[in-house]
Amino acid sequence: MNGAGGIGWYGVALAIIGGALRVSTPYLFVSLGEVLTEKSGRVNLGLEGILLMGAMTGFAVGSLSGSPWLGVLAAGGAGALLGLLHAGICNLPRVNDIAVGIALFLFGMGLAFYLGKPFIAPRAAMLPALQLGAWSDEPAVRAALEISPLLLIGIALAIALRWGLVNTRWGLVLRMAGESADAARALGYSVNAIRTLATMCGGFLGGIGGAFLSLYYPGNWNEGLSSGQGLMAIALVIFARWNPLRCLWASLLFGGASALGPALQTVGVTSGYYLYSAAPYVLTLALLVYSSSTRHALAGAPSELSISR
Amino acid sequence: MNAIQPPPCVEVRDLSKRFGPVQALADATVRFAPGRVHALLGENGAGKSTLVKCIMGYYRADSGTILVDDVAQTIRSPHQSRALGLGMVYQHFTLVSQMSVAENLVLGRARIPAAIDWKAEHRALAEFMRTMPFRLDPAQRVASLSAGEKQKLEILKQLYLGRRFLVLDEPTSVLTPDEADQVLSEMRELAERGTLTVVLITHKFREVMRFAQDVTVMRGGRILATAEVAATSIDELARRMFGQTSVTAVANGARAATPGSPYCEVRNLGALGDRGTLAVVDTSFTVRSGEILAIAGVSGNGQKELVEVLAGQRDAADGAVFVASRRYQRTRSEMQRYGVFALTEEPLANDCVRSLSVMANLALRRYDRPPIAWHGWIRRRVLRRWAEALIARYRIRTSSPLARIDSLSGGNVQRTVLARELSEDVRLLILQNPCFGLDAAAAAEIRTQIANARDRGVAVLLVSEDLDEVIELSDRIVVMSGGRIVHEVDRAHADRYELGRHMTRTTEAEAA
Amino acid sequence: MPSSPDSAVDQQPLTELPAAPWGRRLALASVPGYAAALESAALSIGALVVALVLFGIFVAAGGHNPLAVYGALYLGAFGTRFSIEGALTQASPIILTALCTAMPARVGLLVIGGEGALVLGGLCAVLCATAVAGASGPVGALVALLGGTCAGALWIGAVGALKHWRGVNETISSLLLNYIAIALFDHLISGPIRDFSQTLKATSWPVPQAFGIGSIPGWSVHWGLVIGIGLCTVLFVVLRYTTLGFSMDILGGNRRAAQVAGLPIGRLLIVACLIGGGAAGLAGAIEVLAVHGAASESLIVGFGYTGILVAFLARQNPLAIIPVAFLVGGISASGGLLQRRFDMPDATTQVLEGLIFICVLASNAFAGRIRGLSQPR
Repeated sequence: MNGAGGIGWYGVALAIIGGALRVSTPYLFVSLGEVLTEKSGRVNLGLEGILLMGAMTGFAVGSLSGSPWLGVLAAGGAGALLGLLHAGICNLPRVNDIAVGIALFLFGMGLAFYLGKPFIAPRAAMLPALQLGAWSDEPAVRAALEISPLLLIGIALAIALRWGLVNTRWGLVLRMAGESADAARALGYSVNAIRTLATMCGGFLGGIGGAFLSLYYPGNWNEGLSSGQGLMAIALVIFARWNPLRCLWASLLFGGASALGPALQTVGVTSGYYLYSAAPYVLTLALLVYSSSTRHALAGAPSELSISR
Repeated sequence: MNAIQPPPCVEVRDLSKRFGPVQALADATVRFAPGRVHALLGENGAGKSTLVKCIMGYYRADSGTILVDDVAQTIRSPHQSRALGLGMVYQHFTLVSQMSVAENLVLGRARIPAAIDWKAEHRALAEFMRTMPFRLDPAQRVASLSAGEKQKLEILKQLYLGRRFLVLDEPTSVLTPDEADQVLSEMRELAERGTLTVVLITHKFREVMRFAQDVTVMRGGRILATAEVAATSIDELARRMFGQTSVTAVANGARAATPGSPYCEVRNLGALGDRGTLAVVDTSFTVRSGEILAIAGVSGNGQKELVEVLAGQRDAADGAVFVASRRYQRTRSEMQRYGVFALTEEPLANDCVRSLSVMANLALRRYDRPPIAWHGWIRRRVLRRWAEALIARYRIRTSSPLARIDSLSGGNVQRTVLARELSEDVRLLILQNPCFGLDAAAAAEIRTQIANARDRGVAVLLVSEDLDEVIELSDRIVVMSGGRIVHEVDRAHADRYELGRHMTRTTEAEAA
Repeated sequence: MPSSPDSAVDQQPLTELPAAPWGRRLALASVPGYAAALESAALSIGALVVALVLFGIFVAAGGHNPLAVYGALYLGAFGTRFSIEGALTQASPIILTALCTAMPARVGLLVIGGEGALVLGGLCAVLCATAVAGASGPVGALVALLGGTCAGALWIGAVGALKHWRGVNETISSLLLNYIAIALFDHLISGPIRDFSQTLKATSWPVPQAFGIGSIPGWSVHWGLVIGIGLCTVLFVVLRYTTLGFSMDILGGNRRAAQVAGLPIGRLLIVACLIGGGAAGLAGAIEVLAVHGAASESLIVGFGYTGILVAFLARQNPLAIIPVAFLVGGISASGGLLQRRFDMPDATTQVLEGLIFICVLASNAFAGRIRGLSQPR
């Protein structure tokens, strides 16, 4: 079907912008959380499970309590708990953090679907939206520029993390745990404690990212809610070279790429829908291949990280 | 740092420490007088590290007392020793390489402010460095510092944190002789100024005689003697360290009349190091059958990368290696055909598979050939018998051929790898620091086997950081410095000091 | 004092073997070997028990009687002939997808691309079957199976190649390839190769009836199970008794030692990935030929991810994968019973599987502590 009002390709661009502003938010939160975790020296592949648990918890608490913000908080809490589980197991000797991440992914996903069964279908109280496009008459523009306050919080968080990693004691100690566990131990810090805290924070943010999915867009809870956003965040962090600000730009980019499929549908390009939905994954893989090298570790990677060695 | 107050005086009385069956330290009594440089001399396993680690709180001594400024202290953790102003600089670097000098220094502080004002910190650090004998740029990343600069940073860190009793554990092992001299003379000056008390752990007589004021000789966990350096001599120290009869040098008789034809030729070899810069630069040399060519040099000048290229663990960036006049690509079949075998440094990490058994590690070169293999099939019974024979012949001490190789002691791992390599039809043998970490008897045994191999006509390439070993074993010596071959001499004309001088040729002079 | 072996004689290469010791029977696996295998099994069983206990607490918190649930689990998995058949049917694909993780793991890679390889295997089976639609039954089935195997093999082989030549982390690349494979699959079955007469869900062209894989006589379990068991057995023998397996052990144990030994590392990595991917692709092809008759959404049910769990629980040992797959298959199969009896969502078995996986990983911390030994060769 052609775009209403003959907007056509202009509408596609709008849809992409709208997608970037909207779909980027869960990517942003999850990747910022993963930056914290990876800066401390751990990889958390269980983000997908955390995302889903966050989405379910947010939706459930939101619909039970009537307050979406309480749902967001609860989602963060659920994510933090799962992060604690990840860290607790990884703290044991001889445990591979990548494998634990996969286990957590399966467990979190199963748990979310198990506990979330009674909540499928009804809409909960939704998070409010900020109308940045109120100046325009066109509904398409208004729809594109409608953003969630969570995005603003995310942007502020990205800036804060970028500053904090360099200029605060906690940032310095966190980075040390991720660059040289030996040095950290020699100075008397408990590397496990640092990583546990970092993973919990990462889980907290990941949970919030999930809450966005169920409480804002698409705004419901069902088993097909996430399509790998949690795992894509891992690639996003690598792409952003562990820099919180670059995570912001990368999230916008990926959000825009995700919106490509539905956007093209509005101008009648209906075939290849699934192929467009693969665009983010292909983009990520291409970037990974481009930036990897057998000779040196990925640029900017924390030295203790298992995937960059 | 208050130079008016004298630095700490640390004394230990009857300190003992046992680890399982090993008495690492027995009734050690020694006084480290304030404001002096005190050398701890001894071979590997003499007890020097145990002694200082007890002082520093890493170990808790089984018995005895530690006194700081004549007050008995119970030091249970490194935290406590640090609070008393005691510090230690290790052989390996404890710096975070991806962070800057300033970040590393600030991280070491006991109290770091929640929000850090880097401009103020950099200013304060610049001030601090002005009072120090060495200076570094606070903003520079540690990864881009040289080994010498990193060592100085480690020392600076201790001073920055207000430690006035400093233990230096083999501080010059990664430095060129020039850098080593500079660091040690600065330490001596700081001690004489009354700023520091220095304990220097070393096994080099030269350093003791030149820079220390007192010396304590240890052997087998015991303190043999303590004396003022002025009142003793190298001979006497050597006698105390090694006993009346020192370990004899390998008899160099029974050697091939003349070395044979060139067997291995390295031509214009270049290789990148781990940091992406060239570690081996335009290197060429030849090894002949029936001779031992030794490559001397301070660690970190490209020897590791060179051996890795020859052993197949690193690719060359330029140039080529020729064995038996043919280009050598380090494939398994070539290794077999040309008889090229290697024992690299840290054999457990580089030449063995920890999780496999001694038997499997012994079979590394052989498992795919008859009699052990038969058309791709491994005959385990044959493998076991063969392994048992090797174990017996080379006297490898292991509970069973099926025991994991990492359950063996260091010396036995070395014997295992040597057994495996020497039991092949060797024609080119590459060795890197083969006696590192071994006791004198085991080292002598291995050196004898190396000499025997040479006598049988094997071309031996010996890469060693031990100048004494190089002079003792080699027929010809080349010096590697800054990734290049800078000097070549045959054993008869080798001079220790000249070799040492060549080892430093490409490093720039240090700015004050 | 240095000892001096008789230099000339002693240092000769050992080409002549000493005579076999008189009458001493050298067991292939002597005491240290058995101890290590026992320890591995004990740890896995221990992890399983702990996971079951935790699961019991979990269901109790949900208001169900844990003992009753255990009973239903057992009944639904192994209790009746019907449930055993269900367990075996579930186990068939995951035996193969477990190899997709286990084989690369033997050479030190952590690959999680079983799902994508399986899906592409099914897709390719349909395409190949259509291409030889006129052939006789067994030939057509063979072509379809081979096609599926090759598709999976190449897909995961690419992961190995990217790792070796480009240093791309294999876990992430295989994960991304999963999603790309599923997208490709969805695209093709929704359009280009769609069978529009199927209105319930997007389904591909059907595979000719003659190519279908039947059931083992007397059982309602298809022959794919036998193929899976056979492949695992063959690979176990290869790993343990051939030079290829030894080479893989060295590479998986220490890459630097493999370099010193002059082994062809790239080739070994890719071969391991080809085998693993081929197994997963084969699983997809079998599912299409034996169960569904066509490729559809029903192929994407998480067999790949369950395979990862099986591989870890079996400690990457192909022979151990067989009983473990049966166990996990039984758990999956009992999901239906749990749903009917206790009205529990079918994500319940997924929770249990996740718990088992977590406990198995945690149990690694105790490896080597029980006897101070681990799996020697």
